[in-house]
Amino acid sequence: MALDFEALRARLQPEIDRIVAQYPQRRSALLPLVHLFQEQIGFATPEAVDFVARTCGVTPAQCESVITFYTLFYRRPIGKYNLQVCRNLSCTLRGAKEIMERFRERLGIGHLETTDDGLFSYEEVECLAACDRAPCMQVNLRFVYDLTPEMVDEMIEAMRAGAYGVEPLAQTEQPPREVRGPAWPRAARKSAGAVGVPNPNNAGGVGDEPGRMAAERFREEGVLAVSAPGRFADAETVDAMLPAPHDQTVMEGNY
Amino acid sequence: MPTYEPVLTKGIGELDLTDIGVYRKQGGYEQLRRAVREMEPDGVVDAVMKSNLRGRGGAGFPTGRKWSFLPKDGRPRYLVCNCDEAEPGTFKDRMLLEFTPHQIIEGIMASAYAIRAARAFIYIRGEMLEGYGIFTRALAQARAAGMVGEKICGGEWSCELVVHRGAGAYICGEETGLLNSLEGKRGEPRLKPPFPANAGLYDMPTVVNNVETLAFVPHILARGAEWFASIGPVKSPGLKIVSISGHVRKPGNYEVPLGVTIRELIFEHAGGLFDGRKVKAVQPGGGSSACLFEEHLDVAYDFDSIAAAGSMLGSGAMVVMDDTTDMLEAAFVLQRFYAHESCGQCTPCREGTHWSEAMLERLLEGHGRKIDVDLLTTVGDKIAGHSLCALGDASVPFLQSAIKRFPEEFLRGAERIPEVSLLGTTAAKLAAATR
Repeated sequence: MALDFEALRARLQPEIDRIVAQYPQRRSALLPLVHLFQEQIGFATPEAVDFVARTCGVTPAQCESVITFYTLFYRRPIGKYNLQVCRNLSCTLRGAKEIMERFRERLGIGHLETTDDGLFSYEEVECLAACDRAPCMQVNLRFVYDLTPEMVDEMIEAMRAGAYGVEPLAQTEQPPREVRGPAWPRAARKSAGAVGVPNPNNAGGVGDEPGRMAAERFREEGVLAVSAPGRFADAETVDAMLPAPHDQTVMEGNY
Repeated sequence: MPTYEPVLTKGIGELDLTDIGVYRKQGGYEQLRRAVREMEPDGVVDAVMKSNLRGRGGAGFPTGRKWSFLPKDGRPRYLVCNCDEAEPGTFKDRMLLEFTPHQIIEGIMASAYAIRAARAFIYIRGEMLEGYGIFTRALAQARAAGMVGEKICGGEWSCELVVHRGAGAYICGEETGLLNSLEGKRGEPRLKPPFPANAGLYDMPTVVNNVETLAFVPHILARGAEWFASIGPVKSPGLKIVSISGHVRKPGNYEVPLGVTIRELIFEHAGGLFDGRKVKAVQPGGGSSACLFEEHLDVAYDFDSIAAAGSMLGSGAMVVMDDTTDMLEAAFVLQRFYAHESCGQCTPCREGTHWSEAMLERLLEGHGRKIDVDLLTTVGDKIAGHSLCALGDASVPFLQSAIKRFPEEFLRGAERIPEVSLLGTTAAKLAAATR
């Protein structure tokens, strides 16, 4: 079911206004706003990124640059239970390795992966500031202390049965296996101003003949275009995709 | 040494100090009222200056002096409370946040009054969602009671306190990284100078203080600067919450006077080691501090004595490792942490932490080269003192002190690979040339 972003935004607007008004400069609202949308949608969708960028007075690219800096922000859907097990020193000294092995074995996934049913995401994280109750973890950012391998089994069972005491995260789309990576599912998204323009720098990948030819052709015409998705099959297609001369975006000295 | 009753942790586990009524019955908010209604801001600064309170976040800088650096040029000033606790082994700020949020609010507001802040902020680590909820509820109570916001305590002074949640980044505990994060940017530390006192949040004069530091301020006002200054060593006085974890029977937070011995902390407060074990290494100040060993157990636990012994007090997190600990694995775990948390801005830290992690992993898997062990030390020398912020420096002490003391544990990972290899000899020449 597609998410009606505009309806969600309208519903959250009073909270958005309150957050922005807290700060002397609106850009400061960036992290709290991403938190707000992620809480509702499950991850930072392209619409959310664009909206937060506009609200904070930055470009979507700047907004993404900030989002990708922080480990608690997700650009892809993740599992309903986000299991984050501490792998730092104090937990290691008290058996974290055993806990991590048990999770990997029982879930059949590794670090920063999501199960096929979309129920669990698993991550090994750094010190959670609960070293007195090591080994520890967080489930959807709620602490679980003094872990034992048996507790891992019970926890997973309870979550599968829908009987675990922590509310599942919002999930509006089926998550892919890998938690991190290029934002998903935005393969079809095109950056404004470069729609349909092949990128000579990576067209078809390394050693790709049509890509190389396109690159040469672009160089001859003094054109350097910015990103566009997809590969193209042959030189004719490339020619067809070339912009008309008056339409060219010239980026000098960038090649 | 005389015993001192704890002040910050008093009542935790017995009273529900998250409730403003309970907190006020214990004398809470009385010092904020007294400061705002009966004292000049400079009076509060003087008290903190005379108490000789040193920052409890890691650097140990005298708090009063930090406040006194603010230029008097009429620009708005900001106070930022650093609750981005993420130093490995540290869990004191999270305890204060979850159990005594009003104490933090009172400390922040009294300090904001002292420096005449236009607005105060608290930056709470993103992972502390539960603490964030508790603090936000406490703040609403405090606001309703007139302790935050307009005309505080019925006086003329008004100041807002804004709660800002981080989103997962150790580097945001570094004060300028925190300020960038608070401005809605990547949490990359800034080149200093200018220091935050002159150009901090939104380029305005800013003070960034740790939670524990600010929480002490009302107690200093209540009991007097002399009380605080009289506890422990003259140059680093006062009480300190020490987070003890690792191979001890009773890990936990213990509020002690600075100057107690490491032995007392481990064996009297934290219940000692498990049966038949011996102390192999102790990190006295979190993941960023160099190891101390059995011969250091009688060193006094205060900023200067720990520094003299070759380590640092840091955030006051003691990680105890007994003789079952594999130092190579411990070093790998910590190096992986620094590599993961390096913001990537400066080359020594970005490359150094990652290559060190890779070498340690190689050793851990038994595919290392003997030269790796020397190289790890050399790489550390190239990071320390050459990085943009303290994270690079912090990645070095544990590793170097562990290699120096237990070289055989690191060389163990190099036994299977013969020394003669192209990479090995190149690295050896490089290492020799840079000595």
